[in-house]
Amino acid sequence: MPKSARRLDTGHPRSLLWVEGALCGIAAALSPGTALLLVGLLAPGLVSLALDGAPGKPMARAVLLAGVTASISALRQLWLDGASLDAALNLLEDPLRLGTAWAAGATGWLISELAPIITRLLLDARSLIRAKELRAERERLEAEWSLPAGHPPPTSPPPAS
Amino acid sequence: MGTSLGAFPSSSAAGVKLLNGQYEVLTALPLPGAGGGLPAFAARHQPSGRTDFMAVRASPGAPPRANALARLEGEVIPGLLTPLAHGPGPAPEGGEAYYVICPEPPGPSLAAPAASGSPWGEAEIVHYVLRPAAHVLEALKSRGLTHRAIRPDNIFSGGAKNPVVLGCAWAAPPASLQPAVFEPPYMAMCAPACRGEGSIADDVYALGVTLLTLALGRTPLAELDTEAIILRKLSRGSFEALAADAELPSLLADLLRSMLAEDPAHRPSPALLLDTSTARSRKVTTRPPRRAQRPLTLNASPVWDVRSLAYQVATHPEPGARMLRNGAVTDWIRRELGANQMASTLEELVRWRAREGGTEDRRADSILVLRAVAVLDPLAPPAWRGILLWPDGVGPALAAAMAKGNEELAELRDFIISHAITLWAAQQGSRVDATTLRQQAQQMELWLRARDWETGIARLAYALNPLMPCASPLLRGRWVISAAELLKALDAAAAQPEVRRLAPMDTHLAAFIAVRQDHSFYLDVWEAARAGAPARLVLAELNLLVAVETRNNLGPLPQLSAWVGEHAKAALELWHSRTRRAALQQQLQALATGGRLQPILTLLDDPTALQADAEGLQHALARIGEIDAELAQIAAGSSTRAALAERIGREFAAGATLAALTAALVAAALG
Repeated sequence: MPKSARRLDTGHPRSLLWVEGALCGIAAALSPGTALLLVGLLAPGLVSLALDGAPGKPMARAVLLAGVTASISALRQLWLDGASLDAALNLLEDPLRLGTAWAAGATGWLISELAPIITRLLLDARSLIRAKELRAERERLEAEWSLPAGHPPPTSPPPAS
Repeated sequence: MGTSLGAFPSSSAAGVKLLNGQYEVLTALPLPGAGGGLPAFAARHQPSGRTDFMAVRASPGAPPRANALARLEGEVIPGLLTPLAHGPGPAPEGGEAYYVICPEPPGPSLAAPAASGSPWGEAEIVHYVLRPAAHVLEALKSRGLTHRAIRPDNIFSGGAKNPVVLGCAWAAPPASLQPAVFEPPYMAMCAPACRGEGSIADDVYALGVTLLTLALGRTPLAELDTEAIILRKLSRGSFEALAADAELPSLLADLLRSMLAEDPAHRPSPALLLDTSTARSRKVTTRPPRRAQRPLTLNASPVWDVRSLAYQVATHPEPGARMLRNGAVTDWIRRELGANQMASTLEELVRWRAREGGTEDRRADSILVLRAVAVLDPLAPPAWRGILLWPDGVGPALAAAMAKGNEELAELRDFIISHAITLWAAQQGSRVDATTLRQQAQQMELWLRARDWETGIARLAYALNPLMPCASPLLRGRWVISAAELLKALDAAAAQPEVRRLAPMDTHLAAFIAVRQDHSFYLDVWEAARAGAPARLVLAELNLLVAVETRNNLGPLPQLSAWVGEHAKAALELWHSRTRRAALQQQLQALATGGRLQPILTLLDDPTALQADAEGLQHALARIGEIDAELAQIAAGSSTRAALAERIGREFAAGATLAALTAALVAAALG
């Protein structure tokens, strides 16, 4: 599948991509140090942006937002140091700063992956409790009104996969 | 009879059951031969202390004569042991028996050896037997009653030259204890229970045979069995059969000739017998039937005359019907007897039979025989499948058949539902009141009509025999003739554990209540309920019992209410609500000890509460439907929940990271 077609599948209009690309190019031309630092610190987010095929790229969005959160102090330091390429490279050479940014991205990824699972577990638990309540009420009614157990209730909702 | 009661202690102590509140039956003091064929015991009139009474014991299969007892009770007819009271009393073997209280006979019966040893003279017979008996018969006739038990062993004499006294004839169905020789042949050919009330002319006949016996000093035809006696009387005429060889005084011979006439209409009335010279001049008798030159063989017996033929056809209906259908009977009648009119009538009946049913149609054959016998001998009783019975003998016949529990019950039922009485009456012309008989037959059919034929036949038996006791096995050993006594008897029976295991209602009890309490509606409901749910049956049973309780204003019946309470638990099944059932059961237990049935019925048969219970059930079912739908939705909602969880999870991740970014920006801005 051609790349353009795949991108169209994600829901981004072609014109918007060009605008985004142009804006990125202008930003890189105006402040190459900032661009370099951002590319370095937000590399996991950029990779996930490329890999996330889901509509709205929720996983990439979480990774990027988490990465940006961890990159603010570095950007501030870069701008205090003049926003040069050297300053950006110095900052990128600091493994703690780079690791923090990338760990934040990983955290964003982890949150985006775990949140649906935990939500599913919560929803299933709520359904199980409700089904149990209903079955108990049904049994109570059957016993009270001497009804034959000829109509067994539906099976329990399946557990979350 | 001279019973010696001097040494018999007066049992005025408490606990002695008094019949009618007055008479004590002394079961330890039997009076042999005094009861006219039934067991008799001495009886004491408690208020006066007199002991010159006897209690004649009835048997359940042969109930006493309610009509005669009702009309004669308390009346005094000289020369007759009239009933003074009747009712249940203690049986010698334990339990209850039914007794008719009469004055004690004045002496031994005419059949006692001292009285029957030598022939009586004509004057003695006329003065001491004929006239007193005729007086009694005239008194009975004026009351529309008959005696039907006139024979030497039921006629008593207080000594020589004393007028005789007719014995008790009220404790058994009419003529049921009469030997064949003392009955007209058309009565004798019926089974003892089937003879009916008859007419006073039948008493005149029995009196005639009794006079003959006294005149001869022996019972005529004593050496013959019943069938031989009947056939001899039919073929020769009663007088010829009984007295042909006897040398009788002329007055007595003339009297007996008319008294023993075959046709009841030809016999002198009791009033006429009082004037013997007028009575002897009466020369109206039925001629003996014409004898054929050659016999007709029916059932291997040669038949020589048309009356004997009618009897043989009636008692052997299957070969009789066959010979009627194949024309053998009509050919014989036409050829041997020259009775062309009778033969033509029979041929018409056979043609009707051919139109009405196929060759194997048993009912059509039975009707053919019934009508043919009526044509052959108009004096003969209705004949149905070998059973000969007079229309007013249906009641006692049913009682006897029910006591024996034999197949005769089914035949009697067919006799009624086939309109046999009406068909027979139609053949009789002016001899019988066809309209009255038809109405009686319709009434019988009405009683008989029931879902279950056993219930119908029981209802009819109780309706036709007012003093027949309820034959329910629950009341074994008790003689219950009224609905009020029924509940008391059931209350007493409920004390027995083996009875308590059974339901307090059965076919006999239901039919008995329907008749004696006039509650046919509840019988119909009960019969319908028998095919349905046990709970409905319990309510129907309760309705029958309560109908008796409320109408008779009875006192507490603690044993019966406890018994009913135990069995009424099945009615709780009508309620669907378990809570309500539990509450009702508690109330039922409390009411069962109260001795009243009405509150139990009110508790269980509450339409408003039942309606509310039914509505509650409907609501519960609707709620269960909703629950099932919701459970199905939960079971089928897995993919929906997965999609929702995915969406919420992603949004949460975005929101959390965005919140973190915002916090970081704020922190950076604040320095």
